[in-house]
Amino acid sequence: MKVLVLNCGSSSVKYQLIDTDERRSLATGSVSRIGMTGAVLSHRRYDGDEVKLSGEILDHQVAIEYVLSILLSKNHGVLKDRSEIDAVGHRVVHGGEKFTGSVLITADVLKMIRECIDLAPLHNPHNLRGINACLNLLPGTPQVAVFDTAFHSKMPPYAYIYGIPYVLYKRYSIRRYGFHGTSHFYVSRRAAEILGKPIEELKMTTCHLGNGCSIAAVDGGVSVDTSMGFTPLEGLLMGTRCGDLDPAVILHIMGREEIGLGEANTLLNKHSGLLGISGVSSDMRDVEAEAEAGNRRAQLALDVFTYRLKKYIGAYAAAMGGLNAIVFTGGIGENSAIVRSKTCQNLGFLGVEIDEDMNARTAKQEAVISTDTSKVKVLVVPTNEELVIALDTAEIVEKAKKGEVTAPVGTS
Amino acid sequence: MAKESGTLDLQDLEEIRGLEREAEDVITDVAVVGGGTMGRGIAQTIAGKGINVIIVEKDEDNLKRSKGMLEEELDYEIERWALTESDKRAILARIQWSTDLEELDDYRWVIEAITESLQAKQELFKHLDEICPPEAIFITNTSTLSITEIAAATRREDRVIGMHFINPVPKVPLVEIVRGLKTSDETYEKARKLAERLGKTAVEVYEYPGYVTTRIIVTMLNEAMHILMEGVASADGIDTAMKLGFNFPVGPLTLADQMGLDEVMAWMETLFRELGELKYRPCPLLRKLVRAGHLGKKTGRGFFIYDESGRKIGVAQ
Repeated sequence: MKVLVLNCGSSSVKYQLIDTDERRSLATGSVSRIGMTGAVLSHRRYDGDEVKLSGEILDHQVAIEYVLSILLSKNHGVLKDRSEIDAVGHRVVHGGEKFTGSVLITADVLKMIRECIDLAPLHNPHNLRGINACLNLLPGTPQVAVFDTAFHSKMPPYAYIYGIPYVLYKRYSIRRYGFHGTSHFYVSRRAAEILGKPIEELKMTTCHLGNGCSIAAVDGGVSVDTSMGFTPLEGLLMGTRCGDLDPAVILHIMGREEIGLGEANTLLNKHSGLLGISGVSSDMRDVEAEAEAGNRRAQLALDVFTYRLKKYIGAYAAAMGGLNAIVFTGGIGENSAIVRSKTCQNLGFLGVEIDEDMNARTAKQEAVISTDTSKVKVLVVPTNEELVIALDTAEIVEKAKKGEVTAPVGTS
Repeated sequence: MAKESGTLDLQDLEEIRGLEREAEDVITDVAVVGGGTMGRGIAQTIAGKGINVIIVEKDEDNLKRSKGMLEEELDYEIERWALTESDKRAILARIQWSTDLEELDDYRWVIEAITESLQAKQELFKHLDEICPPEAIFITNTSTLSITEIAAATRREDRVIGMHFINPVPKVPLVEIVRGLKTSDETYEKARKLAERLGKTAVEVYEYPGYVTTRIIVTMLNEAMHILMEGVASADGIDTAMKLGFNFPVGPLTLADQMGLDEVMAWMETLFRELGELKYRPCPLLRKLVRAGHLGKKTGRGFFIYDESGRKIGVAQ
């Protein structure tokens, strides 16, 4: 089955066309600066052929129209006709408590995704625009929604309830949801395969370290806790996000600096994290280089980042009552040997022994970077959220075709 | 949670499309005439939403000053955590500057934010009417003047409308959309869409002097000036009382200084002239300060004294 995977952001659309039978990417690309001047479409075919187009792209529908045209184009395309697209899989950020797995998009499902807008006002509306556009452009092609929150939907209540009045949970659905679910799902499965063990027998912490960072406790294949919460602001230190913080701090700052909600929001989401501490950059590569050159605040940012990650690994080992594997993924997790090494330092008491040579040699590839004798295996697994979305989509569409009731499948 | 598989019918599609912007309504370029506090605030807000803006100033000196002040304002917002350096770069990259109205010959959205004078606004729009394409919407940011009168200077009275933004424009989530007597429903709808695109809540107002916000606020500012003049309380005392007592972000006298005392007086005079009631008579103390050229923050002195960067440093005696 050929599945078009779409990830629609506020002014961007990322896409990938995947042949799910061969688990192969046929083409991948993105449209950026939608609705602004100088929009850009970059497209890359499986054989390495690349093309960049720029022009005016007014909205998501026009963007997806462009994507379809390039997929169909003579010189750069991979399809002869739109009808070759068997299904569309959409990444949807927030599924709230309603969606515990991927679903075929129907009128009811759309309504429910809209109801989740309150929970993710920055993301769900754009995801919906993408779905709408496909309804117009590919009428009759089945569409599936795959939620970032779904993999974490089996967390026990004691992991997701915050210590605030319970009535606020009931009234506004305020609780931990967790994000990056598709990534945690994929790398945990892949790690089990690499280790050659059934996932049901493994206790893992999966560390997704990219622009946003989160860690999940995956026990027997199920996410039982994760560091991101009601929003993607909680937990680990990130590029520009603060992660865990005494909630009184922000109230105090708002009083002292006489700032309002909007400014406070920007402060915590855009001025904090690696950038805020180091004053250098939100990019871990820059922070590492500066730290290496003797910049003490860059070093401090790196220390805070890895210390907090280590703390979470210990906490989740305790929560699961054991640990068999630590998995690193995401831009930082896949590329930064320093972050992996510092995070795993002094975890010998848990049975973690890093093979420093192997670690230093590993970037952007699957590898076991712990020693042969290490009781806890440490792995690097490049994530592949698009593949998960495509496979979920294919499975749901197959079932729907056979007339089976489409219960949520996949990531939960 | 099991769901029945289902299909979408046309009615569902219509409903769902509520979220979708119609492509022809997408706003890509807006002209702002006047680079004062309001013009800059409006331009910054628009550019912040990814729309290109051209600011037209009357001459090179004003243009240069306006440019400098916009940069300062953006830096101040970064300092206040409201923006990031990359936001600033993106905003500045989307703003073009000009001193030539003729450049607006292909703009379909023109927002006027020049001085609060009927004659000046009429002359400007008369001129723009010759330059801009016939389908262009003319928006005036007037606080008290009659949209109908302003529109009368053009041959497109149905496409002239008021959008009264409030300073500081990037922060205040409100805009009053003011219809003149001949403003068409279509023009109103377009203005409402622009407001929505800018993230502002629109309140529809029918033409009447002072609309809602100006009429209420300047009357209150005037009252605060009377209280000061009559020696009931000090300037600081009045501002503190209203700030703490009614949760105002700034006190009325500070607010008057920020708005510009000449502007406040012009609004009061318009209200007084149009409505004829004594309650709109500008306070004599206000007249005195305006005559002395103490116009508030912009001249460094009004009810309070300000340093060069506009920060309050004391009370004027």
